[in-house]
Amino acid sequence: MEIISIVYVNAVSWFLALFGILLPILLIFRAIGLTGFQEVTRFERGRSFYYRLNPATKIALGLVVTTICAITIWWIGLIVTVLLLATYANLNNGKRKLALGLYLTFATAIGSMWTLAPYTPYSILDTAFHTTVLRPIWTWPSYFGIMGYQPNLTLQGIYYGFQVATRFTAVILSALILVMTSTPSEILRTLSKLKVPIPLTFALIVAMRTIPRVFDAISISFNVQLMRGLGANANSLTRVFYYIPGAIGAIIPVMVYLLRGAKNIAISADTRAFRAFPTRTYMYDISFSRSDYTMIGIMIAGLALSLIAILLGFGRTIGYQGF
Amino acid sequence: MRAETREVIKPDVVEAEEGAVSASNLVHTYLGSQNPALEVKTFSISEGEAVLIAGKSGSGKSTLVNCINGVIPHIFPGDSEIGEQVKNGMISGDVSVYEHAVRSTPLATLSTVVGTLLQDPETQVLNYKAEEEVAFGPENLCLPRDEIIERVNEAVEIAGIRHLLDRETYTLSGGELQRVALAAVIAMRPRILIFDEPTSNIDPEGTEAIFEFLKKIKGKSMIIVEHKLERILPFVDRIVLVDDGKIVFNVKKEDLMDNLDTLLKAGVEVPDYFVHAREMNLRTAELSLVTKELKRRGIKLHTPERKISSTQVMTAKAKVSSGEKVLVDAEITVGQGELVALMGRNGAGKSTFLKSVMGFVDKQLNSAIYLNVSGVDLSRAGIQKRGKYVAFVPQAFDLTLIQKNVEAEVSYSLRKRGEKDWKSRTEAMLEIFDLKEVRERDPLTLSMGQRRRVAMAGALSSGARVVMLDEPTSGQDFHNREMLAGEIDRLRQLGYSFLVVTHDSRFVYRHADRLIILSDGKKVLDATPDTGFRDSGEYGIPPPSDYLLRA
Repeated sequence: MEIISIVYVNAVSWFLALFGILLPILLIFRAIGLTGFQEVTRFERGRSFYYRLNPATKIALGLVVTTICAITIWWIGLIVTVLLLATYANLNNGKRKLALGLYLTFATAIGSMWTLAPYTPYSILDTAFHTTVLRPIWTWPSYFGIMGYQPNLTLQGIYYGFQVATRFTAVILSALILVMTSTPSEILRTLSKLKVPIPLTFALIVAMRTIPRVFDAISISFNVQLMRGLGANANSLTRVFYYIPGAIGAIIPVMVYLLRGAKNIAISADTRAFRAFPTRTYMYDISFSRSDYTMIGIMIAGLALSLIAILLGFGRTIGYQGF
Repeated sequence: MRAETREVIKPDVVEAEEGAVSASNLVHTYLGSQNPALEVKTFSISEGEAVLIAGKSGSGKSTLVNCINGVIPHIFPGDSEIGEQVKNGMISGDVSVYEHAVRSTPLATLSTVVGTLLQDPETQVLNYKAEEEVAFGPENLCLPRDEIIERVNEAVEIAGIRHLLDRETYTLSGGELQRVALAAVIAMRPRILIFDEPTSNIDPEGTEAIFEFLKKIKGKSMIIVEHKLERILPFVDRIVLVDDGKIVFNVKKEDLMDNLDTLLKAGVEVPDYFVHAREMNLRTAELSLVTKELKRRGIKLHTPERKISSTQVMTAKAKVSSGEKVLVDAEITVGQGELVALMGRNGAGKSTFLKSVMGFVDKQLNSAIYLNVSGVDLSRAGIQKRGKYVAFVPQAFDLTLIQKNVEAEVSYSLRKRGEKDWKSRTEAMLEIFDLKEVRERDPLTLSMGQRRRVAMAGALSSGARVVMLDEPTSGQDFHNREMLAGEIDRLRQLGYSFLVVTHDSRFVYRHADRLIILSDGKKVLDATPDTGFRDSGEYGIPPPSDYLLRA
């Protein structure tokens, strides 16, 4: 009986420890797919509301969403997440974008929750939930301890992780709207007008151009590892565990591959007079349209509602009310 | 006799009439390297002259052009001695382009004088819209809006890409993307253009468009680094051979025939008919004349031997679609020991076919695969099981090198599959691929040829006897392509069979047993290269001169 108990404890412990890592990875590889990631991290032409907005408005949207989520109670972050997700339906190929956004939100939420839930100190949970009695769900064996800290899973820890996750998800969704609906050149134009130094914006441009390629390169490297036998002796249930060493194995070759390409990016930009002057001129001017003013109105309303929420006691402070 | 009538210009003696480019006593050593990558005593280009720079990979061609366009020393300083004093007792050197001293002129200024088109269009295009890419340079120069528009329109017309302006750059084929990159360079209105292997990574149609462009701008100062000697010759006035970082010869086009041996010795691709023309003492190397003369003299040329096997080792049928659009719907067989070449335009479905056979296609695509290898039905097998029978080496083979040393890389598949005899089988693979001497080295630090061999050995150590290579000839010079052909040939003799995706017609004619062409995802041709190249032109694949010489 004792052996069964030991096996049970260890099996469940490992399952719970890996759940928060493997489920997001599984979602990323299976549901979203690497091409799905490419679709949500690169520009695609469209005509709907977001595509008509000035990139400055979309940058402001990201900042406003971050501010709202940072200063208000968690469920306001959740509402913002849901609202932003709903607007994905308005993007080009909206149903697919909505599904991708949903998977991404879910993966982020699980990943964030599981990162925080076992490791949040009891003192914080006590303060956040106005209680000294935490409801335990699972206690890991001592060998799961990290640097003297013994992780335990409590219901309050899960709640807390979820509350924090609602803030991440909203911010990520708003940032992706900028990436999916603006070209690097448009962002460069906007940031240049905002007097952001060109070398800094160039880093952003290169990142925007490179990230979709990263997924392609990871996909090749990962698939070839499977072809060469990674997880060959595993069954369909345990094969998912091999995604982690596969992804880790891809890091070095992908980085080397991208760095070799980065040399060409530098030559291509600098041999076309990039950074010749502190500013640039532009073929098309970016102006503010009615859509921008509408969005600015929505953002102001959002900020105003947040302030009202704070005044009503739904602010983001330790010891906050609302749960 | 010809040697008496023609003046062979010795190394470094061609003088520019009116200088577009002049270099003297130039030495460049890359950071961390002991030996100079380039040592040029003198080099010059006249206004309106077009110069071909030939040489095998790593010979110093790109270093030379980078010293001219200012990439060296402005982006990669190294230990360049442009304008500086003395290394190993040499006198200080200098590079100037239209009277701009490269070292002291800011790169931004140089970029209005020298335009550079690189080999890989994927990494040199920075923007998502073609129009934004073309406007990028003029915008950097802070030109007024009207002038930017004027330059963009002008460049777009010259490069012939008006129809591509509204497209996202990631939806363009390699050839289309290269023309967008070209327009972006033209928009800078440079006085001299540098083309650094502009057709190495693109399909034959894209290559044709680049050569059409070169025809159009004949008379402009140009430096062209290119492996396709026969295609580029009509557009150049002079040929410079760079080998081991030095200019070996620098001759007028008309004098090329006297230097063929030197070119061949340096690993540069020389078409067969050039060699025959010289053997027959012809003063010109024009394909039709050489063919006629060969016939007149009754000289019969050797045709590459083809081995068509009656034993099929692989039958693969793939139907892949994205929504309503069918990306590929074809069946391909490979016989025992055969080298089957798979050709077609960009987007014809070649790589998709290979990936779908391996089970690499994205989940978003619908795919139905039938795969039978050596009598084993793998249609429903996962990637791991398929990998035991079929090996796939992607174009970017560096992405497959994940281990710390060559030995671990080669044994990876055997260890992961729990093979008990993995040590002896690893030794055997190291022996076959001639990798024993580098077994302790990090694969990513090896030469390109060695890295490719490690990638192949790593894929084949699973026991697979069928190999699928995705564009292994892309971006490779003649020397490397022939090395690859040698490796394939050796493996074929050991019983391995190959399916190779390539754009290189000459490689196919010289080495393949069968030629299969895909067009719009369908198999439209399956024949030996000797008969297949009769009709390949219909599908955007011009036959190589080696074939035409014998046709």
